[in-house]
Amino acid sequence: MIRAFASGMWIHVVQFSRNPFDLTGVVIWPILYASIAYYLLDSKDNPRLLLAASLGASVMLMWSLVVIGSSNALENQRWLGTLELLVAAPVPFAAVIAPITVASGFVGGYALVATLAWGTLLFDVPLVIVHPLAFALAVPCCVLAIGMLGLVMASTFVLYRAAFSLGIALQYPVWIATGVLVPLSVLPTFVGRIGWFLGPYWGYRAIREAALGPSPWAAIGMCLVVSAAYFAIGTICLRAFVHVARSRGTLKLT
Amino acid sequence: MAAIEVHELERTYRSRKGVIRRRRTEVHALRGITFDVAAGELFGLLGPNGAGKTTTIKILTTLLLPSRGSARVLGFDPARQPGEIRRRVGHVFGGDRGLYDRLSALDNLRYFADLYRVPVREKRARIASLLELVGLTGRERERVETYSRGMRQRLHIARGLLHDPEILFLDEPTIGLDPVGAREVRETVANLRTQGKTILLTTHYMYEADELCQRIAVIADGRFVASGTPRELKARVLDRTVIELETFGVAEATLERLRMVAGVASIATETREQSEMLVVQSRIGAEIVPALLQELNGTSVGKVITREPTLEDAYVELVGAG
Repeated sequence: MIRAFASGMWIHVVQFSRNPFDLTGVVIWPILYASIAYYLLDSKDNPRLLLAASLGASVMLMWSLVVIGSSNALENQRWLGTLELLVAAPVPFAAVIAPITVASGFVGGYALVATLAWGTLLFDVPLVIVHPLAFALAVPCCVLAIGMLGLVMASTFVLYRAAFSLGIALQYPVWIATGVLVPLSVLPTFVGRIGWFLGPYWGYRAIREAALGPSPWAAIGMCLVVSAAYFAIGTICLRAFVHVARSRGTLKLT
Repeated sequence: MAAIEVHELERTYRSRKGVIRRRRTEVHALRGITFDVAAGELFGLLGPNGAGKTTTIKILTTLLLPSRGSARVLGFDPARQPGEIRRRVGHVFGGDRGLYDRLSALDNLRYFADLYRVPVREKRARIASLLELVGLTGRERERVETYSRGMRQRLHIARGLLHDPEILFLDEPTIGLDPVGAREVRETVANLRTQGKTILLTTHYMYEADELCQRIAVIADGRFVASGTPRELKARVLDRTVIELETFGVAEATLERLRMVAGVASIATETREQSEMLVVQSRIGAEIVPALLQELNGTSVGKVITREPTLEDAYVELVGAG
């Protein structure tokens, strides 16, 4: 199962890297997101806020890459005719699908670093990290938490053919509930409560608190907890939805 | 124990259309078919498009649930024990799809080897021997998107054999291939038969079934029509003579009149590049050519050939009757 997971991640990253359209997006998007973070807040005099905004923009981009990348990858599996073969494989289906979403998260991890780098290079965003070690740990934990939320979403993509549209529709609600687009303090309290159940919320808190303080360890721990919970939920949902797809006969595109 | 047992298998697809007035539609893909395949046998499932061949294979390979009836693959129930079946069977379908185009053949095989739990120590040797078997040695590092259809199809077969399955399901493996590519795939399948693999092959190419299969089941419109060896099926029309008439634009009314000619058992039409071929089956000894030509009076008629019936004629007769 671990071999299938590692092999799946490698294959999907390679597959992604050989699509010029996807690659162009990964190069351009971090520049756009870094620009948004800088101009939206207009906080040149507040380096901490500027860095927090850059980190928020990075998490926004990471979530976009995971949710769009995963839905796109699954829709591609249908187009390529490989989805049925993946379902027919003897390894658990979660071990086949999770690498797709984590591979998207891995690309998102690169995008996070690229967004911060562009922010520093183009807009002088100060890249002063309070807890460098914790930050190094927080980034993969954030990738995992977001990737595993992608796994839960991916289970619905197996069932519905319009996966890509669903993926795009899921971008904004998570951005808002996580507080990376608009501060949660200006939104109704219940929006923040929803955020507690979302991986990107804890991922963002983990890397923000590792960069700016205070202690990020609670948020890093929550990243792992929600990742485990998502994996369990995703596995159950995938099993159930594959059963429904086998019953309805919707695994194939045509 | 048979390797595959299918009993009264049914599958109905249900869908809903419309936003305000939801209409429910049902398509009966299988209406109760029964057959079995012995271990080591190459069994053919024949039928026209929409007969239910692919649906049968999908149920047996655990990708679809049956609506009614039962099936056993190596003693396991595809609906309830999919995991047991998946590790023991291989599934190859025809056409361009089912591979990662932007990856090399080697990367495709490595990935599926990991998904199908091929032991790490055996992986490299297994992939090399399969590439050899399907004639892709030396081309394995090229991207699949540069492959011809025939090469893709052979790569499909290699993928289906990675985990050394006890049963191989081949769903129209030569569809869309040129004659040379199709012959190469048939040679590969024949080679697998000699290795003792149980193979369930679906096709609508009669010569393919005749050349490869030990037994055949014919299905049409989701129903079982007949089964037997190719020779047994051909025997059903051995009391017939086949007359082929090359014509150019026969009206439906003329066809109806031809069917009424005394001695005519069946008539099928085949469209050729610039003409149409009427394939008429009649009982041996019935001199019906003059009567046919009389009914075709006013229609251009080219060559007229009288020949022995083939498996294809038996199939046309069976499907027509079904």
